[in-house]
Amino acid sequence: MNVDRRTLIKATGAAGIAGLAGCTGGPTEGGDSGSNDSGGSGGNDSSGSGNESTDGGSESGGSSDINVGMIYATGGLGDGSFNDQAQTGVQQASEEFGVSSNDVQPSEVTEFQTFQQQFAQGGEYDLICCIGFLQAEALAETSQDYPEQNFMIVDSVVEQSNVASYTFGENEGSFLVGQMAGLLTQQEFSAGAGQTSPDQTTVGFVGGVEGDLIGKFEAGYRAGVAEASEDIEVQVSYVGNFNDVQAGNEAATAMYNDGADIVYHAAGNAGTGVFQAAQEAGKFAIGVDQDQSLTKSGYADVILASMVKRVDTAVYTSIENVVNDSFNGGSVTTLGLEQEGVAAVYGDQIGSEIPEDVTSAVSESRQAIIDGNIEVPADPSNL
Amino acid sequence: MSAGDWRDRGRSALERLVRASAFERVLISTAALVLSMFVGVLIILAAGRMTTCTTAATTFFGVGFCYDPFAIYDSLFLGALGDPINPLFKPLQGEFAAPFRRGWTPLNSQMAVTLRETTILIFTGLGVAIAFRAGIFNIGMQGQLVVGALATALTVLWTSSLVSGLVGTLVLIPFGLAVGALAGGLFGAIPGALKAYADANEVITTIMLNFVATSVALFLVANPFKDPESPANETVGLPDFATIPSVLYEPRDNFSIIALGIALALVGASYYLLEHTSFGYDIRTSGIQPEAAEYGGVDAARTIVSSMTLSGAIGGVGGAMYVLMILGNYQTGVPSYGFDGITVSILAGNNPLGVGFAALLFGVLKSGSIIVDVSTDVPPQLVGVLRGLIILFVAMPEFFRMIGAKFVIESDEGQAVATDGGVVEDNGGGSDE
Repeated sequence: MNVDRRTLIKATGAAGIAGLAGCTGGPTEGGDSGSNDSGGSGGNDSSGSGNESTDGGSESGGSSDINVGMIYATGGLGDGSFNDQAQTGVQQASEEFGVSSNDVQPSEVTEFQTFQQQFAQGGEYDLICCIGFLQAEALAETSQDYPEQNFMIVDSVVEQSNVASYTFGENEGSFLVGQMAGLLTQQEFSAGAGQTSPDQTTVGFVGGVEGDLIGKFEAGYRAGVAEASEDIEVQVSYVGNFNDVQAGNEAATAMYNDGADIVYHAAGNAGTGVFQAAQEAGKFAIGVDQDQSLTKSGYADVILASMVKRVDTAVYTSIENVVNDSFNGGSVTTLGLEQEGVAAVYGDQIGSEIPEDVTSAVSESRQAIIDGNIEVPADPSNL
Repeated sequence: MSAGDWRDRGRSALERLVRASAFERVLISTAALVLSMFVGVLIILAAGRMTTCTTAATTFFGVGFCYDPFAIYDSLFLGALGDPINPLFKPLQGEFAAPFRRGWTPLNSQMAVTLRETTILIFTGLGVAIAFRAGIFNIGMQGQLVVGALATALTVLWTSSLVSGLVGTLVLIPFGLAVGALAGGLFGAIPGALKAYADANEVITTIMLNFVATSVALFLVANPFKDPESPANETVGLPDFATIPSVLYEPRDNFSIIALGIALALVGASYYLLEHTSFGYDIRTSGIQPEAAEYGGVDAARTIVSSMTLSGAIGGVGGAMYVLMILGNYQTGVPSYGFDGITVSILAGNNPLGVGFAALLFGVLKSGSIIVDVSTDVPPQLVGVLRGLIILFVAMPEFFRMIGAKFVIESDEGQAVATDGGVVEDNGGGSDE
């Protein structure tokens, strides 16, 4: 028995060391022979976020010594929308300006302040990006404690001279996808894995957490649907969080069963459930924050369009300002349709099949909103 | 080896574990901790080979790794204490300097994070432990915490307009804690009563009531009691005098040594209650052998309801502390203190005195994860794995002890001539250490 055990340990140990050394990942400077690329992509699948943060962090080096601290929203990286979009912005900045960055992903609201302090107290960051409105309260305190530190916040306003605030015209972008949904549900339309039933003119909206922010999505969407026709019913449901895929699926399934043709979601990760439900029901869905027909490509055959919120623009712009030594602390920047902070982009796979009359009506409305001829409400209770 | 051999071996190991002295149990836990770190190091090294980076964090045997396991564990444990160790202090290399880093005080802000997590977890851990000792698996701690937190936030906000200043603090803090205890206690009494009088399984009712609590809280905070100024779902913030004053620590650290003191006092009180009062005796005997307890004159239904009420009340105080010390209002997305409390309680062997240490371990891991996230490139998911490993390894011996205690009693009954009371007394005393 003892011999057996010893052999086993020896064999396991040898296999383990061989396995570790044989892995094609690891540091690239170490002169590993073999294909680093395949190892890299393999690593990407299993621990994508960490890998990407390393890329953003240490590759740059050269041209700029700007250091950025990124504090993401509680959904974490890999959500395929909000946080990943913010990361795109910092990656773009690191490619163009050679800034280096450090990512952290708080899991709870109470951790925001600790992370902000951790970044701020060393003084080694030229800009700390706080992603998401839940950070506003903590940042209001932290920015006072560290008046020399530059901060930026996305989706909320913190009135401090060292904080640059960025908000979006989500209602404007949602108006456009709402109008598209409203026009399509009245027609006979089929593309990819879905089709509409024109005898029932119903569309749906699935929100994450009820509040002023998601209310802007809902208000704009409903106004857009009403622009298409006053007779269309809009079903609205809130999941209660941004993570619960199953709850998102249930909410959307109920809507599809009630005859909804198209469901728009503003529910973060829970929105994945909406896409699942759309595939199961053979109907359509509209994505949010990023072009989700690309980021969630498994559902590209039901995603008609996405209301893209250019969080990356906000992050990129704020870093650019710091690089150019023109940090706009204390200011509030609203990125609407005109500033291309929001946009309606058609799905990668089935977007091209949307009829001409729908797309032209949508682009007319876009121009009308930019010109100020259409006033889009921001509060669903004012509709 | 035959199957019988293995069984005998397993049984004797289990018996050995059940009869282990307090000192031996500390040794077992320490060994488990070291073993979990050893496994963790291997996982970190493997993960470091599966990702790509430009510079190696560490090199072993000529092979570069992207993550340095020693730096990670250093950040995880020492980072949580605010990096107390002097970099020149290397006893292993024979260099002796002052062990503590210059400028380090136990009052640093990271220590505050560690201790504030510990404080809340002591409350939830204690609550779960008391229910456990009565033989009730209270998974509803999270719901009781939420209800306590919300009730405190709303009533203290409402009454804070009536008083102010130092008097306000002296009146409102005890009042807020009492409201939290009352609300949590009432909410905990519901599954207790359902179990006692309708024979409803408390595991199911408490899980369901968690959803009821968080959803009702969400509705209330999103609609009638929402702060109209804020985009988040939260109540209007409490005035400064209505929050627990921070003593020794900076106000921005959101930690009060007073709260920790209250938590520790409650640890002592719970221990005294369980071990030295007749109510505690009722709880313990009902937990070990409900039929025997009832035969011995314990009102089973009443004990179930009152121990669940007490459990919920302690959780409710935890919720009140969360509001009065950390947040200063109620906001949706309460961290899973209640569920962590279950693990804390198991880690502590359901012993109130152990809850303090188990909660501290949890607090260190939670706070240390933040430092790992800030100071290294390691993905937070991997840190979660390391945390889970530590907890799993440290909790398992205690878990087997709890199972073993039952098993050994049964096997003793088969062999030895002993009265029920004798056996119960013996093992009951053993697990209390």
